[in-house]
Amino acid sequence: MVALLGENGSGKSTLVKILAGYHVPEPGGELWVAGREVPLPVPPGEYREIGLSFVFQDLGLAPGLRVLENLFVGRRTAVSSRALQPISWRSERRAARAVLRAYEVDLDPDANTGGLRPTDQALLAIVRAAEELRAFRERSPAAVAAASRDGGHQTAGRLGGVLVLDEPTVFLPEHEKVFLLELVRRVAADGTAVLFVSHDMTSVRQIADHAVVLRDGRVVGDVAMPAVSDAELVELISGHQAARRIGPAVGVTDSNPAPDAGNQERAAQPAEPSATRPPGARTPGATAMLTADGVSAGRLTGATLCLRAGEIAGVAGLLGSGAEDLPYALFGGLPATGGTLRVGDWSGPLSAHTPHRARELGLALVPADRKQQGAVQALSVAENMMALVLGDYFRRGLLSHARIHRTAFERARSYGVRPAEPSATLASLSGGNQQRVLLAKWLERPPKVLLLHEPTQGVDVATRADIYELMRGLAASGVAILWVSTDFDELAAVADRILVCAGGSVVTEVSGPPFSRDKITSEVYAASAGPLAEGV
Amino acid sequence: MATEAERQAGAALPPAGRKDGSEVRRWSLARRGRLLESAMLPLAWVLVIVGFGAAEPSLFLSMANFSTIFGSQAVLFVLTMALLVPLTNGDIDLSVGAMSGLVSMVVVVLNVQHGMPIVWACLIGVVVGAIGGLVNGLLVIRFNANSFIITLGTGTVFSGLIEWMSNEQTITGVSTSLSNIVFTDEWLDIPIEFYIGVVIMLVMWYLLTFTPFGQRALFVGQSREVARLSGFKVSSARMQGFVIAGVIAAISGILFVGTTGSASPSDGNTLLLPAYAAAFLGLTTIQPGRFNAIGSGIAVYFLATGVAGLQLHGYGDWVQQVFYGAVLVVAVVISRVLSKRRYGEVAAT
Repeated sequence: MVALLGENGSGKSTLVKILAGYHVPEPGGELWVAGREVPLPVPPGEYREIGLSFVFQDLGLAPGLRVLENLFVGRRTAVSSRALQPISWRSERRAARAVLRAYEVDLDPDANTGGLRPTDQALLAIVRAAEELRAFRERSPAAVAAASRDGGHQTAGRLGGVLVLDEPTVFLPEHEKVFLLELVRRVAADGTAVLFVSHDMTSVRQIADHAVVLRDGRVVGDVAMPAVSDAELVELISGHQAARRIGPAVGVTDSNPAPDAGNQERAAQPAEPSATRPPGARTPGATAMLTADGVSAGRLTGATLCLRAGEIAGVAGLLGSGAEDLPYALFGGLPATGGTLRVGDWSGPLSAHTPHRARELGLALVPADRKQQGAVQALSVAENMMALVLGDYFRRGLLSHARIHRTAFERARSYGVRPAEPSATLASLSGGNQQRVLLAKWLERPPKVLLLHEPTQGVDVATRADIYELMRGLAASGVAILWVSTDFDELAAVADRILVCAGGSVVTEVSGPPFSRDKITSEVYAASAGPLAEGV
Repeated sequence: MATEAERQAGAALPPAGRKDGSEVRRWSLARRGRLLESAMLPLAWVLVIVGFGAAEPSLFLSMANFSTIFGSQAVLFVLTMALLVPLTNGDIDLSVGAMSGLVSMVVVVLNVQHGMPIVWACLIGVVVGAIGGLVNGLLVIRFNANSFIITLGTGTVFSGLIEWMSNEQTITGVSTSLSNIVFTDEWLDIPIEFYIGVVIMLVMWYLLTFTPFGQRALFVGQSREVARLSGFKVSSARMQGFVIAGVIAAISGILFVGTTGSASPSDGNTLLLPAYAAAFLGLTTIQPGRFNAIGSGIAVYFLATGVAGLQLHGYGDWVQQVFYGAVLVVAVVISRVLSKRRYGEVAAT
């Protein structure tokens, strides 16, 4: 069982996608699976034929179907299956029960998949992937036999194929991860090799025999698991001398194989001493523009933070930490179950917060998903840009399209939108230009608080530089900016301070400035593994 | 640091891309293409008139024929306008036809069987339309249900109510003061109801094009998620759309009563399909890609002219169904192709 580790952008997902046939690698690489060399690129959808099986983060289950229908979907899509061949549901059900029992997964084959808990859904997806590999072994016994005779290659999974798990534990509750890890162990005991791609150091430590660490697209380490310390692992991942806070976590995690008890305890009292350190202490005197207390929405479970006028507050966290939900929760775009918000003189419960109120309070949100959430692709540049200030152009009962067009043209010029053509469809612009339009839209009425989620994702270098420049200028003029990003280089470059999210709350701040990517990475990993150790 | 290097490299470049002649030329070409696109339907209309005029000069090109075409299709004209706000909001209201029929029946029953003055009967009819729209909106928005299916259901309920109210009989004998105003009185040889339709069309055009209301509807219809995260009140926008649809459908029902002096159980639903055909045909003209009042109005009379010409040419009533259905399909196909081509331009840019 091999863990594949590495920070965001280190090449983990690229590697996985090459294996799955999504990406075509540059020539020169070699791939060996089950003792055979597989020509690259892997044809899309063919990975089953060469003995690979994947469980991605989104699991790939159809929520409206029953467990057994999801489990045996491979039988329906197999080349040998015929559309009108009758299905004996009784024997399918019997087979499903047998399969689930074999993996010791307690699920009702007739249950609706969407109604299952996330953990059970993940278990189902893994069982399905393992079954695919078993079917592969039965299908090509010759290849397997040949492979076992050969045996010369150090490729794992000569016999049983390879199960690739991409961040399988991210969205699962802490105390339930153990079920998943047990199942993966059983699958591995069957003769299947497992590649476990994860940020989750605790799970990796419990399950992997050794860990391969990627940084900037290269393997920087291949270490045997029990021998290496957490501090050494984080150092390999981030390339940075591990912070001293990692120290105490190492021994405890090593000697403690049952983390769930500690985690439940942590969930019960999220406000640990380290979590209550008032963020924003670094800029004394600046007015608090936005204060949020105990935000619970999406993956956030009681996050507390304060944004002050004139600062850029970066937010860093691993996938599933809740950082990615923070801007939407503060804007009222995510149904909240708890927490209070104070903006200027206004304060109220987050559960009654709406995007409409947020806008009235002077909040602005630039979402990461430009296509689906940020701007309407089919409408024009002018319409997108001026959407929030139409009232200003509605005089004597008429919306003045000419004036809108003129203002939009001026804005397109000053924000560097190319082409500066207000009537162009937004979809005809490049990603960077679309982002300029999106920023112009929210800045047309100057906000008090600007919430940014991955604002430079998919934009060109020039736009990125312009956005940094623009944001620094806005902050200097007194706007409070929340900047959530998985690009730690970016956070290091722009942020005045950096909050760290883990387990659904803001747990600490990165010490500094100055910041660097390596330092942020190591502190984020430390914070994500740290509370566990402290809780024990 | 990599980012600093990137930033400096970026600062040396102009903001983004480059500007040259070819870019400008491409835009002016695209604009000319769009102009041609928007003129297509009016041209087709002229072509139909010229064609039938050549084939049947004495019958088709008479003032009486045009008076009939403009007058008789006023109900459809108004009903088509009812669809526009929900369609712009991204909602499909299939109940407007039955709603129009229900209001006709309410007006007739109140006036004929209960002796209520026609003005009051009409006002109550409009209120019924508004309530019907409110019910549609509540069901669709409150339960986050598909508007297509919900209004298919409510429309069928309305049809049932019509039959119940009328005992499945045609009811006649409505006060002539209504038909005088609507149908008998003429201006320039065309019944007044046509001008009522024109006024409603202009109001819808104003509402959708020259008010923030219309722009908001556009956002809501194009992307609920973008509209929501931009702080627009998506639910109230959609609710207003359903109520407006109900009220305008009610007006079309009243015009129907004025035209025929009666109401019969099967009326409203026969207009639903041509109304959609006109709305989608309108999508291809004037403001291509947008449901727009002027385009839909032109489409209504394009359809009416086509059907009248075919019937004068000797085809039976069946040709009406074939023509309406075929136009709806063709209109949808054309607007898909056009929008795909628009996205095709995108790939080239």
